[in-house]
Amino acid sequence: MRRGTWLLLFAIGCAGSQSVLDPAGPPNRSLNHLFWAMLIVASVIWIAVVVAAFWAALSRRRITREDLEPIITVPNEEHRRHTGIVTGLVGATIVILLLFLVYDFTVGRALAERPSRTLTIEIIGHQWWWEVHYVDPDPSKIVVDANELHIPAGEPVQVKLSSRDVIHSFWVPNLIGKRDLIPGYTSSLFLNADRAGVYRAQCAEFCGTEHAKMALPVVVHSRNDFAAWLSEARAPAAVPNDSSARDGRQVFLAGPCSSCHAITGEPAYGTVGPNLTHLASRKTLGAGTLPNTRGNLGGWVVDPQSIKPGVRMPSNQLAAKDLRNLLDYLQTLK
Amino acid sequence: MSSRSNGWRATCSALIGILLLSACERENRRFQENPPTATPTSTALIVSDLQPGPGMVIPKVEAPYDDNAWAVSEGKSLFNSMNCSGCHFQGGGGIGPPLMDEEWIYGYEPQQIFASIADGRPNGMPAWKYSLSTQQIWELVSYVRSLSGLNPKGARSGRDDHMMRKTPEASTPNAVPKMSSTPPEDSA
Amino acid sequence: MPRRERTRCVSDRRRLFVVAVGGSLFLAGCKGDKEKDDPRVALAARVGPATTSGDTTTKFADDGQWVRPAKDFQGTRFSGLTEINNTNVQKLHVFGTFSLGTTRGVEAAPIVAGTTMYIVTPFPNFVYALDLTKEGMPTKWSYKPRPVNAAQGVACCDVVNRGLVVDAGKVIFNTLDGRTIALDAATGKELWETQLANINLGESVTMAPLVVKGKVFVGVSGGEFGVRGWLKAVDENSGKLAWTAYHTGPDKDVLIGPNFKPFYKMDQGKDLGVSSWPADQWKIGGAGVWGWITYDPELDLIYYGTANPGPWNPEMRPGDNKWSSTVFARHPDNGEAVWAYQLSPHDEHDYDGVNENILVDMDWKGTRRQLILRPERNGYFYVFDRKTGEVLSAEPFGFVNTTTGVDLKTGRLQYAPEKATRIGQVVRYSCPAAPGMKDWQPSAYSPRTGLVYIPHQNLCMDEEGLEANYIAGTPYVGTNVKMYAGPGGNRGFFDAWDPVGQHKVWSIKEDLPVWSGALVTAGDVAFYGTMDGWFKAVDARTGNPLWQFKTGSGIISQPMTYSYGGKQYIAVLSGVGGWSGAIVAGGLDARDSSAALGFVNAMKDLPQKSTKGGMLYVFAL
Repeated sequence: MRRGTWLLLFAIGCAGSQSVLDPAGPPNRSLNHLFWAMLIVASVIWIAVVVAAFWAALSRRRITREDLEPIITVPNEEHRRHTGIVTGLVGATIVILLLFLVYDFTVGRALAERPSRTLTIEIIGHQWWWEVHYVDPDPSKIVVDANELHIPAGEPVQVKLSSRDVIHSFWVPNLIGKRDLIPGYTSSLFLNADRAGVYRAQCAEFCGTEHAKMALPVVVHSRNDFAAWLSEARAPAAVPNDSSARDGRQVFLAGPCSSCHAITGEPAYGTVGPNLTHLASRKTLGAGTLPNTRGNLGGWVVDPQSIKPGVRMPSNQLAAKDLRNLLDYLQTLK
Repeated sequence: MSSRSNGWRATCSALIGILLLSACERENRRFQENPPTATPTSTALIVSDLQPGPGMVIPKVEAPYDDNAWAVSEGKSLFNSMNCSGCHFQGGGGIGPPLMDEEWIYGYEPQQIFASIADGRPNGMPAWKYSLSTQQIWELVSYVRSLSGLNPKGARSGRDDHMMRKTPEASTPNAVPKMSSTPPEDSA
Repeated sequence: MPRRERTRCVSDRRRLFVVAVGGSLFLAGCKGDKEKDDPRVALAARVGPATTSGDTTTKFADDGQWVRPAKDFQGTRFSGLTEINNTNVQKLHVFGTFSLGTTRGVEAAPIVAGTTMYIVTPFPNFVYALDLTKEGMPTKWSYKPRPVNAAQGVACCDVVNRGLVVDAGKVIFNTLDGRTIALDAATGKELWETQLANINLGESVTMAPLVVKGKVFVGVSGGEFGVRGWLKAVDENSGKLAWTAYHTGPDKDVLIGPNFKPFYKMDQGKDLGVSSWPADQWKIGGAGVWGWITYDPELDLIYYGTANPGPWNPEMRPGDNKWSSTVFARHPDNGEAVWAYQLSPHDEHDYDGVNENILVDMDWKGTRRQLILRPERNGYFYVFDRKTGEVLSAEPFGFVNTTTGVDLKTGRLQYAPEKATRIGQVVRYSCPAAPGMKDWQPSAYSPRTGLVYIPHQNLCMDEEGLEANYIAGTPYVGTNVKMYAGPGGNRGFFDAWDPVGQHKVWSIKEDLPVWSGALVTAGDVAFYGTMDGWFKAVDARTGNPLWQFKTGSGIISQPMTYSYGGKQYIAVLSGVGGWSGAIVAGGLDARDSSAALGFVNAMKDLPQKSTKGGMLYVFAL
């Protein structure tokens, strides 16, 4: 049983959508190479040292009177040999450390390099969700999204990080290390993915009761897919044809929803909660809390306080019919 | 001797217990509940100091969150995000009347403030009952009361996250509330 | 030689009373020496402007009346009357008073047409007609429009009204809840009423309408409520909506067509009212109209400026945010835009562009040009060519550190990056503050001196951006502001500015912001009021104080002058309030420095210096 748990932990640690050891982009890959190089070299040395220590401890040697006396002046042949070994090992240690230093420095420099032309994405931390802006020099093309990050593969992306309330931290283990989101300050890092897939980012700085439920799926698209996704994301929500969804739209606009949430194309401009223009195409609800299914969505709308206690969204008392219509409407927001 | 020391011990424990309990209430995060609603049949709508007859009837509805620091801070957050601060600012007023002074047009009792928020008031105060949950309105009630020191000091905010606009609620002197002597403007 | 001087009204010598067709209204006209040469002007003087629908020739006539808040279409606030002048103004005394029955800020001008004075009060927008022919100016009639009480909740900066207009026998005014109402000027009977604004979208109306060629122009207030700004034209006779020009959105809504020729590249392009905003933000982008409209009969164009973009917090609206803080020139008949110039693109500090465009013809660097003189909220005194929209000059008329100047090549205002408003950051000592170097309070221009008389404030601020949340019908601002006196420690100035020399000629320091309009007469006297209630007269050439009178409340309104029976009168309304006086009018608590959008912090002493009121004062020699 215990062995199984350990194996499971190893397996989780090595591969998967939230693993530093499963790099999905050049920066993390070079970090991984550095990590493995250091780990292997250090392991070999460690094993050698341990073996030597054991050998020294276990080799039976008679202690003579001379050994107990202080070493006096004239070094004999054995002493010279020992000095040579120690000097050589110290020298080897220095060389190995220097090599690591150079390697580490090279990797660090490569990571700190600012790519010339990049897509810029702003990520704004809230308690407990992520606001994501896809910046464009043409302001009308800016896309505001939430709780999901989409980036193209094979292209560096600049991510600007800030926060509206407390300090959060942005961490995509498969792609890049942590960077804090600090209120009133904008920090920045570069994401560079080369393997399409879905990875999971997690807030890495305790930010309140629901810190653990503040995750961010990161979707890496191929370049073409990303362009297609971005142009879809720019499209405003359409008024649904279906009559129940149309009624649900009324529930949304007339009720409390629009005081906090925005839907592009509709007279709902709230900025307190996540933008819902493309809610139905998201993978999760509540910032990675639940898979995005109709049942979960219904539960979330009616009673988010049971799912994510403390979340800013209040519980909503809705008539069954209104709830059904509202869900119909929300599911049209592709 | 020993019985006396036992008595002391019991008293101390009780005192500490009470202190701890009060602290519990201060920090208790009551995420999910249905607090009472002030109803029109209560005194919510009484805005006059004059009642016919020899005595005044003032039934009280306790504010469920007056001594709960977490709820008061949630109220403060709502006060800003629901744009209450757009008219009342941080209690000094602007489009709406000030809330940190001692004058109250429609009453300072929790249920009266609840009614002011939920039902609105004729001279520009919107009715929020369809936009906010009962719990949110009660959180707002307690925050509004904290602006002029009507709730326990320990539950009031001791600092502000933003530009220093005024002394924090915990340092604002307690006002002695009274009904406004100048009635609101009338279009008649 | 300024043209106006030759034609100033000599009302005490020649005075003409004419009964209008339909015979309900007496109107005073007066003739200048040269008016006989110009049949158009002479006709206007005989008939009187208030009887001819949309008469446009009153420029040099009719100094006895004051039929619109700015007096003439050109917005000069200059009167040719000379009975009261810089030698005898000391002898002014109170001739009459009248209580308005309200206690909120009074920003309106008394209006005189014929033998009647008309006043519209702040909310609830009572209208009074006072009979000038009778002793004590008794009330002829009064009218109560009963605006919706809730409208007070969507008026950002006190429930003011900036005045009414009299045209073609009608009194036309706006109510706070967004109705435009026409009354029979003789009887006070309602002729028509048109609902233009919707308070549930945060819309209100505080401006004075302007009537040109049978159309009533009305704009919306609500830049602090996320409205989508518009100017509407209403038919003067029927009250029917003639056209609507929005100030954000696609060109067809802004009434931009093939004849739209802005001077600068930054204002050229298709559908800039959409593409200079993040998606959908233009639908709640502010840019109302609540200031002044002027009209040039020769070019047949109206000129006006649009208000700030919403929300104040600029980080929430990347882009130039067209057409906020913009001057528009439009044809009055169909609303078609001819040119536009954005004064403060991507406004960072609530610099509305609603200030007056004073239309003058004067020599500019050797050639006679048709100009706009415009002391702007962002702190610069603009001189435009009003045919093309070219900026000829933009010099600061006070201390400015939020911007570094206007690039006359590109036309673009240059912002100082260190004063940019950012979410979660407090920027200190930004000057001018949110009400700008000069807010709505209109300046006056005297053709005799060639100077513009500018009442303005001297305020700086600390500002912090906040995330604004839009809920229809509630404020949409997103900043913390805290204002205080600017350099020198005084909060206001009354200045005379030479637009040609581009410099200040004289300047009067006032402790409180000068929130009243200005008036200048051919007697070379300039008038203004202070928020502690002093009504002051100064020499228009030197700025020497000549006379002052303490009224009952603070003055934030527009002084005017008229003549009746061969005698000149000066009238002003006293009643403190407005944005600057909200601390008194609204009874605000000065302990909160952000109260009333931060203005309260700069006005903590006002409650000791002024109390609420609402009173007309008429002065005469």
